[in-house]
Amino acid sequence: MTDFLPRPAQQAVLEYTGGTMGISAVPGSGKTWTLSALAARLISEGCLQQDQEILIVTLTNSAVDNFAARIEGFLRHQERRPLLPYYRVRTLHGLSHDIVRDRPELVGLDSNFQILDEREANAIRDEVAAAWLRVNPYALDDYLDSELDEGRRDWVRRQPLVEQVKSIALSFIRTAKDMQLTPETLRRQLDTLPLPLPLAEMGAAMYSDYQRALAYRGAVDFDDLIRLALQALRSDDDLLNRLREMWPFILEDEAQDSSKLQEEILRLLAGPSGNWVRVGDPNQAIYESFTTADPRHLRQFMSVADFPQELPNSGRSTRSIMDVANYLIDWARGEHPIIEARDALDLPHILPTPEGDPQLNPPDAPEGIHLIEIRFTPEAEILAVADSIERWLGQHSEETIAALTPRNVRGFALNDELRRRGIETVDSLLRSSSSTRFTAGALGNILHYLADPGSARKLARVYRVWRRADRGDSDLWKQVEATAKILGGCNHVEDFLHPGPGGDWLDDLREQDILSGELDQLEEFRLVLSRWLKTIELPIDQMVLTLSQELFTSPNDLAISHKLAVMLRRVRNMHPEWHLPELTGELAVIAKNERRFLGFSEDDTGFDPDKHKGKVVISTIHKAKGLEWDRVYLMSVNNYDFPSGMEYDNYIPEKWFVRNRLNLEAETLAQLEAAFSRDAYEWYAEGGPTYEARMEYVRERLRLLYVGITRARKELIITWNTGRRGDLQAAIPLVALQAFWKNK
Amino acid sequence: MVNHPLTPEQLAVIASPLDAKIFLEGHAGAGKTTAGMERLLSLFEAGIPGYQILLLVPQRTLATPYYDALQSPTAAAGGSVTVLTIGGLAKRMVELFWPLISAEAGFAHPNRPPNFLTLETAQYFMARLVRPLLDQGFFESLTIERNRLYSQILDNLNKAAVVGFPHTEISLKLKSAWAGDPGQAHVYEDAQHCADLFRAYCLERNLLDFSLQLEIFLEHLWPAPICRDYLVENYRHMIVDNLEEDVPVTFDLLREWIPELESGLFIYDLEAGYRRFMGADPQTTYQIKEHCDQTVTFFESFSSSEEMLSVGYALAQSLHPEKEPPSLHPSALPLHPSASHYYPQMLDWVVEQIAALVEEGTPPGEIVVLSSFLSDALRFSLAERLDGMGIPTCSHRPSRSLREEPATQALLTLAALAHPQWGLSPSKFDLAYALIQAIEGLDLVRAQLLTEIVYKERDGALTPFDQINPETQERITYQLGNLYQELYRWLNAYTQGAPGELDHFFSRLFGEVLSQPGFGFHVDYDAGEVAANLIESVRKFRWAVGESLEAEGISLGKEYLQMVADGVIAAQYIYSWQTQPEDAVFLAPAYTFLMRNRPVEYQFWLDIGSRGWYERIRQPLTHPYVLSRHWELHRPWTDADEYDASRDSLYRLALGLIRRCRSGIYLGLSQLGEQGYEHKGLLLKIIDRALYSVSSEQ
Repeated sequence: MTDFLPRPAQQAVLEYTGGTMGISAVPGSGKTWTLSALAARLISEGCLQQDQEILIVTLTNSAVDNFAARIEGFLRHQERRPLLPYYRVRTLHGLSHDIVRDRPELVGLDSNFQILDEREANAIRDEVAAAWLRVNPYALDDYLDSELDEGRRDWVRRQPLVEQVKSIALSFIRTAKDMQLTPETLRRQLDTLPLPLPLAEMGAAMYSDYQRALAYRGAVDFDDLIRLALQALRSDDDLLNRLREMWPFILEDEAQDSSKLQEEILRLLAGPSGNWVRVGDPNQAIYESFTTADPRHLRQFMSVADFPQELPNSGRSTRSIMDVANYLIDWARGEHPIIEARDALDLPHILPTPEGDPQLNPPDAPEGIHLIEIRFTPEAEILAVADSIERWLGQHSEETIAALTPRNVRGFALNDELRRRGIETVDSLLRSSSSTRFTAGALGNILHYLADPGSARKLARVYRVWRRADRGDSDLWKQVEATAKILGGCNHVEDFLHPGPGGDWLDDLREQDILSGELDQLEEFRLVLSRWLKTIELPIDQMVLTLSQELFTSPNDLAISHKLAVMLRRVRNMHPEWHLPELTGELAVIAKNERRFLGFSEDDTGFDPDKHKGKVVISTIHKAKGLEWDRVYLMSVNNYDFPSGMEYDNYIPEKWFVRNRLNLEAETLAQLEAAFSRDAYEWYAEGGPTYEARMEYVRERLRLLYVGITRARKELIITWNTGRRGDLQAAIPLVALQAFWKNK
Repeated sequence: MVNHPLTPEQLAVIASPLDAKIFLEGHAGAGKTTAGMERLLSLFEAGIPGYQILLLVPQRTLATPYYDALQSPTAAAGGSVTVLTIGGLAKRMVELFWPLISAEAGFAHPNRPPNFLTLETAQYFMARLVRPLLDQGFFESLTIERNRLYSQILDNLNKAAVVGFPHTEISLKLKSAWAGDPGQAHVYEDAQHCADLFRAYCLERNLLDFSLQLEIFLEHLWPAPICRDYLVENYRHMIVDNLEEDVPVTFDLLREWIPELESGLFIYDLEAGYRRFMGADPQTTYQIKEHCDQTVTFFESFSSSEEMLSVGYALAQSLHPEKEPPSLHPSALPLHPSASHYYPQMLDWVVEQIAALVEEGTPPGEIVVLSSFLSDALRFSLAERLDGMGIPTCSHRPSRSLREEPATQALLTLAALAHPQWGLSPSKFDLAYALIQAIEGLDLVRAQLLTEIVYKERDGALTPFDQINPETQERITYQLGNLYQELYRWLNAYTQGAPGELDHFFSRLFGEVLSQPGFGFHVDYDAGEVAANLIESVRKFRWAVGESLEAEGISLGKEYLQMVADGVIAAQYIYSWQTQPEDAVFLAPAYTFLMRNRPVEYQFWLDIGSRGWYERIRQPLTHPYVLSRHWELHRPWTDADEYDASRDSLYRLALGLIRRCRSGIYLGLSQLGEQGYEHKGLLLKIIDRALYSVSSEQ
């Protein structure tokens, strides 16, 4: 505990001894440090009995590792370190898995139940949605724009409507699970209603088909895991009591992203007089895809917590950047033209760190703020930002820089332009999960070779994979490339791998004095490879695990390898006729990122901006959460990506082919909720949910802007563009910020 | 035969009068089985013929020491002793007295012979019956693989038989103990319906699965004077070992049989009972004690040291602080823990430690590496690493199914090639893979090259080696090419003739080609064992379903191959023990090691954080405790019961292992298990506690 010098606000948190505590923490306020220090303090001061643990729940796998490392750091001076740490850090999915795994049969699962990854779940859901539409091609006709002629309608039914129904399936099934509904209970309820709810009927049918498809595979999805964990806790008091006994303190990070179910699970675990500390920043509640999370849960908790706290100090940004962010809060709260959006952002303001703090704010530099008013076309915006980056990079090779966009597609466009200019970029945050791609890619190359072991070309690729650690050393890597090239030219691979009477290929190289510096490496490679070749006797999952144990050491890689192994095993079970070549093909698809493949958390990359000094990191604003750079560009801040509830604004979820600009997804979810509503005044009224969803979107976009701004340490540049048709405006909050900054 | 001189207590048991009925109890390693073996030999020496002696064990492998004793050159000749399990006894009696009870037992065709089902053929019929019901919505609220579902319904029938309650009460018992969501309880009714359906189907067709064999024996044959007289007159002396692993109906049988015996020795291992998931009921079988004339208890331990026993006390104390009094600890426990973050690091550590032990003179056969579950990846990784250091290993692999054995896959591929009429042309990859197994020394690169040239996937036809160009022949090498040529010739000749039964085909292929010098199965005993198991599996499949398939005009061989692909058959464990090198590091799941019952110097416990060390397999359709004799109807099975059961099985397991270890236990902890999850199981907790309490005492 000696290396951590808490600020007064942090000290107040560290003095916690029990009860409920809600902490509102501004960006960069050191909440992970504080929470880790609190866990370490509770452990080292003997607040735990034997067999008890502190349960820490956080959002991502990388945060899990981060927490564990920090707590270990605090505890390293302890006299006796047990084999078993007195804490458990889990994502919500990890925690749910622990609970369900404890008593699977309690919730109708077999011991060896499988967890479907998002990619597979999406594929099944999409198929279910498409099948529903095939069977009921005209069921949604009433919702189509009456202006559409029959030919156009027909096309809509076959194309965009399919996509719309798929996205409804996702949100409907997720919400139904969040409401703890099974397809059967939902069906029963719908049958009791006096009036039919056609959209809810559609959702119920898809939900039922989807769950049947999962059961057939002996699998659950991530949402089931959470739902079933709660079900298990509710159905067995003994289980709940045992877990309460085991986890006398619960510390929750990123609580603004908590869903109702997460809150219920933790509330149950904490018990009526439980010890539960929740830290989060409601201002940073932003979501990339449909979620049932809502920052209001956390605000509500804070209002009734025994000990409400704030962590308002942040040493991250300059005074000017903090001023811009704080002004956005004030403007939203007091001046946003739409009343419903005024609770999007909340106090506290971000305050600088006090004097003497180990993390002082960078010296103020108002000249580092540029809120650009120019009406760029989309193309011109890219060029202008690229020009600016190019100029800046020349003089700041030791600093960090990022360009953040609301959507992937803009990021890719900027990436192309920068690369065209020979500027080094880091785009891994734009892609779904680069570590997955990397792991799957490395394994894929080896499996690809094992499926076709006579191929010298594939052998050469395996050699590069095997030597990948030398990539950082350019001289060494040149040598590796040269060796791989010669290996790729080996006509008879068997003479290298299993030399017979025909002679040893390596001896030939030796005699010809080729690659003499690399011969030892090749000898070793041959040994490794002959070991790998033996793995083809193993079932596919165990083969992948075995190879991964030779290839990787990081838990992330191992966890991903395991998921790949399980997935391939399932594919093999579903297609018993498939062998290594076909299975490798499946892996290759994942490696090329053509399909999404996610691990337990949606963000398992553990990205560190400081490792990319002098290179341009390109990311969506969502993916940049939790990260910071010296200079940040926020792009496309117009009324398309940041609408403000104005009459002329467009909303992505409202489709052009749906009548009255209805948001079909929101309308469907409202019908689902109405089906279970007991209040006649809450009965479904068409159009209302669309408006509600619009307001929710406006609020989320305000927070997104806030998150974007608070990524910057010293310099912030915000630009916008007029869109493809040239009719877009600067986002209203941006205009407000510009005015504020000018006046300042 | 015996390493230690016999103790006076052992000698007393061995030399007890020929009319003694003794209950012998003691912990593992106390010399009970040794006494049993010597008692058996002393019966011979007293002139009792072997056919009058019945040796009853819960699992055939547990009779291994007795077989060894009987085969020893010093053993007196007494003819062959009958060695049986209760299931084996039931089957034998049903076979013998079938005409007497077939009608009474409700079989539709009492005059036709019985058809005994194995676990896999029973599963085959169950699958045929249940599949259509699934489409009707049965078991809809369950998330389970189909083959696991079929096996759990069968398991319920078997539990009813071994516990001794009517199979019609399965759902009643399971439902009454259900503590979860009430809506979920209907799956037990579905399971009951399927069990009833299966039983009716069996009675209609003279099919006898394990449960029916046992029920008929106990309900119809044992009560019948003709059968009972036959048994009690034939078997005058009985030795029962590992009674604690046996099922309740064994107790029922013995209770009535003991008074009729001349002599009996009933051996019971205290604090064991590892086969609960198979219906073992140590509590019930312990009551045999009351039906014996005398009880003898052995206290000594031949298989463990004082220091090791102190580990046992320390763990028992930390597991049951409320029950076990704190014991005096030595200055340090002979436990060697090592914590790694990653799984591969733990494996490296294990290999280093084993190498050091061997270097210091410990024979490899005195080292075992135990884990809760021995995956192939683990077995493979360890065996390869140790092999690289010249340390031999052996393993039992009950975690891999017969169909996943490379030798099985090779045999099935060759079968498909030899029967083109089935229309199941293997892929090129399958063939290359089969050739590596079939031809010794053939590597994957050359196998693939060969396959590319000699095999046409479309018509499943092979061409001979001598028809390929000389340059390629040279690449493949003539030596390997000639072996291929031999295999080709054999298959070609077989295809020309009339097709035989699939099991005959495998026997011939194995005997005439694959087991010959130069072929892959010649030196690979494992593969030979697998072939024997496969042949056995096909033969039993033919006996059980051959007739009905023939009536439907379906080719048995083809159906077998398809059922293997579906995982319905050959998905079970390998049954027979494999021949193992004597002095090799033994890699096994902990329970396998326990049932092998052979103490060693050093044990390695891997992945001690895993829950597999104590947790029962969770099955939503069956329940070993609820279906046991001791569970009261309507008492719900709660989390507290689950926890107690886990604690109890960990207690038994840990003590069982420690009592089979003389010098030290190495504890490998990998924070992230093989699957990448963090492990914090109960075993780790109690070890941590025991180590902590010792260090606190220092």
